[in-house]
Amino acid sequence: MTTTADNNRDRVQITVDGPELNSRMVTEQVSRDFFNVTRNYRWLVAILGSVFVIGIIALILRFLDGFGVSERAQWGYYSAMFAFLLITAGSAPLVAVGLRWTKNHWRRPFSRVSELYAAVGLLTILWFLPLMALLPPLEGRRSLWVSDEFIGVPLWWDFFAVLGLVVCGLTLLVLSAIPDMAVLARHGDDGPRARLLRSISGFWRGSQSQWNYHRIGLTALGAFYFMLLIMVQTMINVDFVMSLVPGWKDSIMPAHQALTGLQTAIGLVLVTTFILRATGRYKDFIPMESFWSFSKILLALCLLWAYFWFAALITFWYGRTPTELNVLSTFMFESYRIPFLLNFFFSFLIPFLILIWNPVRKSVLGPTLAGASVLIGAFFMTIRLYVPAFGIEDVTGHTLKAVQPAILPDVLDIFIILGGLAGAALIYLLASRIFPILSIWEVKEGLLYQRVRPLLRSKFLVLGKPD
Amino acid sequence: MATHSVLALYSNAEYAAEAGEALDNAGFSKEDYEFLTDTPYPEGALGERHSSHRLYVFPFVGALIGLTAAILLTSGTQLAYPLVTGGKPILSIPPMAIITYEGTMLGAILFTVIGIIFESRLPTTKKHIYDDRITEGLIGVVVDCDDNTVDRAEQILTQAGAEEVRREAA
Amino acid sequence: MQEGKILGYRRINRDLLRGVFENPVKYWAIVLFLGLVVLFAVGAAGFMVNRGIGVTGLNRPVFWGFLITNFVFWIGISHAGVMLSAILRLSKAEWRRPATRAAEVLTIFSLMTAVLMPFIHTGRPWRLMYWVFPYDFSRGIWPDIRSPLVWDPSAVNTYLLSSILFVFIALVPDLAVIRDRSSGIRRIAYSVLSLGWRGTPRQWKLQAIAGILLSALILPVFVSVHSIVSWDFGMAVSVNSWHSTIFAPYFVIGAVHSGVSGVVTVMIFMRWLFGWEEYVRREHIDALGRLLIVIAIAWFYFFAMEFLFGIYGQEGDELATRSLQIFGHPWGWLFLTFIITAFFFPVPLWLFRNVRRSFLWMTITTISVNVGMWLERFIIIVPGLARKQIFTQSWYTYAPSPIEIMIVAGTFALVLMLFLLFAKVFPLIPIFDIKEGQILTDEIKVGRRRVPAVIREE
Repeated sequence: MTTTADNNRDRVQITVDGPELNSRMVTEQVSRDFFNVTRNYRWLVAILGSVFVIGIIALILRFLDGFGVSERAQWGYYSAMFAFLLITAGSAPLVAVGLRWTKNHWRRPFSRVSELYAAVGLLTILWFLPLMALLPPLEGRRSLWVSDEFIGVPLWWDFFAVLGLVVCGLTLLVLSAIPDMAVLARHGDDGPRARLLRSISGFWRGSQSQWNYHRIGLTALGAFYFMLLIMVQTMINVDFVMSLVPGWKDSIMPAHQALTGLQTAIGLVLVTTFILRATGRYKDFIPMESFWSFSKILLALCLLWAYFWFAALITFWYGRTPTELNVLSTFMFESYRIPFLLNFFFSFLIPFLILIWNPVRKSVLGPTLAGASVLIGAFFMTIRLYVPAFGIEDVTGHTLKAVQPAILPDVLDIFIILGGLAGAALIYLLASRIFPILSIWEVKEGLLYQRVRPLLRSKFLVLGKPD
Repeated sequence: MATHSVLALYSNAEYAAEAGEALDNAGFSKEDYEFLTDTPYPEGALGERHSSHRLYVFPFVGALIGLTAAILLTSGTQLAYPLVTGGKPILSIPPMAIITYEGTMLGAILFTVIGIIFESRLPTTKKHIYDDRITEGLIGVVVDCDDNTVDRAEQILTQAGAEEVRREAA
Repeated sequence: MQEGKILGYRRINRDLLRGVFENPVKYWAIVLFLGLVVLFAVGAAGFMVNRGIGVTGLNRPVFWGFLITNFVFWIGISHAGVMLSAILRLSKAEWRRPATRAAEVLTIFSLMTAVLMPFIHTGRPWRLMYWVFPYDFSRGIWPDIRSPLVWDPSAVNTYLLSSILFVFIALVPDLAVIRDRSSGIRRIAYSVLSLGWRGTPRQWKLQAIAGILLSALILPVFVSVHSIVSWDFGMAVSVNSWHSTIFAPYFVIGAVHSGVSGVVTVMIFMRWLFGWEEYVRREHIDALGRLLIVIAIAWFYFFAMEFLFGIYGQEGDELATRSLQIFGHPWGWLFLTFIITAFFFPVPLWLFRNVRRSFLWMTITTISVNVGMWLERFIIIVPGLARKQIFTQSWYTYAPSPIEIMIVAGTFALVLMLFLLFAKVFPLIPIFDIKEGQILTDEIKVGRRRVPAVIREE
């Protein structure tokens, strides 16, 4: 669909009680925020930057402590952080991809917020590199790869899978943002950023055929990204957790990770959009109804989370082989009881109890709190899976012979984790200065298909459904 | 005290909504009249009165009853016949959780259905004024009125463009 | 998306109540034929009860065969219904309108039929009571709630009761329509059933909330039912290929795959039988076809994961079972047929818009899915059992006896017959829902183009 700035002058409402908007207002608001670098922004970048640097220093100290296959126990928290980045930021673009497929109108203001997380992939791939030296050889243990004679298993396959995911995500982000960059390049003064935008999007004229290719490209890349992500999560999960635990065969775990990823994707997008709104940006274009729609999906995902978890639990609990009982004790009920409980509460119980209340679900704060909660839950999930898996010394054989003792984080671990989180946020903030955080073309397209109209004695939102 | 019910039938929803407005203006309260349709119009479209309900209480009460019953049942049967099977403890929580879950959901759903019927003020045995053509697309407006207002109501309804106006003693 | 015309209410009533008020010859001919098949099946089951389960093809160690496969299959079909109508109601998909009732009714009858299967399978159906229901006060023997076979009835009963109530609540306004069109004893019966419905705004409001609230409550039940069916298998450590943690969601998504396909088949069938060309339109099967693509791919993912982790363990017994499933005779042929009919034949076809919009092709592909999904259950259940077990010490290959085949054939006739008999008494397409859809239809002009639109209520 063509949506240039000026062919749609008339103002429309996109919520029954909302203000009247037109497409020019979208462009103006976005370009104002985009080119205006505020003091708060500079402060935030400075703080995050310093935490990130501290994290790097902690990481260097950790390297000095010891590095290599035999020292992998102390790298458990580091690997958990990698998984957390992959699960959350890696999954976040799926919100845009998935909802674009279903042609929802309410997704429009969230699309770019979610796609921007693809930029965090740069940190994810760097974070992955040290892990490659920590994986014990495949000999004598189970692996996804059946035979260790297969070229490059498992590390290089994992590496290229993660790299492919990151590249695919970045391509998706750039492609999606090109029309917006073209618009902004015309609006900004002749600073370096406007020049950068112009050089990326200079070819974009917004012709019918360009829009067509754009649409097809986004659909194809989205599908590709989705498949890659599921594959990467399966591979990483099996290579870096399950296959390090002798005898552990849990076919639902990769799917459970993927599901947690979807959960956190919504959580991330909700929290980020909430912050955007709270700092007074784009409130008119991000109506409460959008949060409400997300809350329903999030509720369903939280229920599914508990369901997947229970499916694994009941099978192991019923099977009662020594490995099964030791796995349950190690990963859930004894050694890592606290991270497990935090995981269970934050991934399921708390968001569930928040979201079953209608008035809470129909607010902005309620869904956001639930979203923040699933993020915390996912964090503890990666900890309770990766840390114990990295702590097991003998990875050969077909049974886990004993319950593994817990490994607690030390100061370095905490700083590394904080540094990682700060680094991810920093990249996101910087990326939002190249790719506008509100998807201009999608919001404008939405203005074409949404109207508030009267029916008899009341007003209703009318949604156009183009084929 | 309402002594009469007047039913007016409209072929057009706009006329019916107008009749409602005219009744408001003539001093009838929104409690006194009601629309009868064979289609759910979006809430508020006819300018009808806002009705509140307490349906959401029902599933919670039902869930609580179902939960209690299921816990008593599952723990009771195990304690009454304490046979260890498959090395699993008496009072095994995961299997209990499954049956308890089903019990809870069953309770919640049963009570929700009861709640829906109850809050819809159904079933009714009282004979209300009605017309079979309402399920053919005509929209009915029923006004409860007393001896003094019944003529006035009929007049308003007719003026709004009713196909037919009927009165019955309430 | 919306290609339908605006129809008069009188016309909608007449069309959708055609099943109730008219008596076409082909309708009765079909019902009669189905009735005969059911009768044969009842005879076969009676014979089996009389002679004992020796008349089936079951023998040590294969104790679960055709009837249990059929049980899982019909439980699977029953999943479509409520899932489809609940999810589409919650997501406010406009194209749900002609599909919901038929889907829910299919749920009820396939669930009832499914329950019959283990009942007959026991060979001594009357004893089932002691095993399942805690009522044997006099002897003090209680069912073992740690057994998955006891979880099953609790879930199935909950699901059956809930779906019946769900259908009933949504039927009330339509019953009032029939009440207003009939006379005599029929009118009295429908008056009682419709509970005195008049169509006040309050009643409609609660009807709308009921649709959403009950959907939200039934969805978690629906997921639990097939999960628990899968745990009948998944809890067993000793049978190779069964003890897998992914079984529950794998069964559920498989059920949805076969169930939604079943709904499409049934919708096309009733369109043909009752002449509902204006109501079941190409856009509807197109949308269902797109939904099926997503479901089928999700199902394939779970199937692949289940299989992958079967091999991942690298345990001799497990690998042997897997190779028996794929290469052994006769399972290999069945496996090939299953994977082609359930996935590789229909799914690539659905990618084409012309296929999705063709009633003939959608009938063929959806029936193909169900052939495949029936075989899938068979291949999950029997090969694992056919190998020597720890306590049975023997090998056996299973082949169904004619008695089992007759009973299984009878269940297909039974579901279809009950479905048609339902249509004689109640409308299979929700009348008020179709009418509501007509009120909510609108249009938005974008440039020169008119885009169909819907009015959204919140």
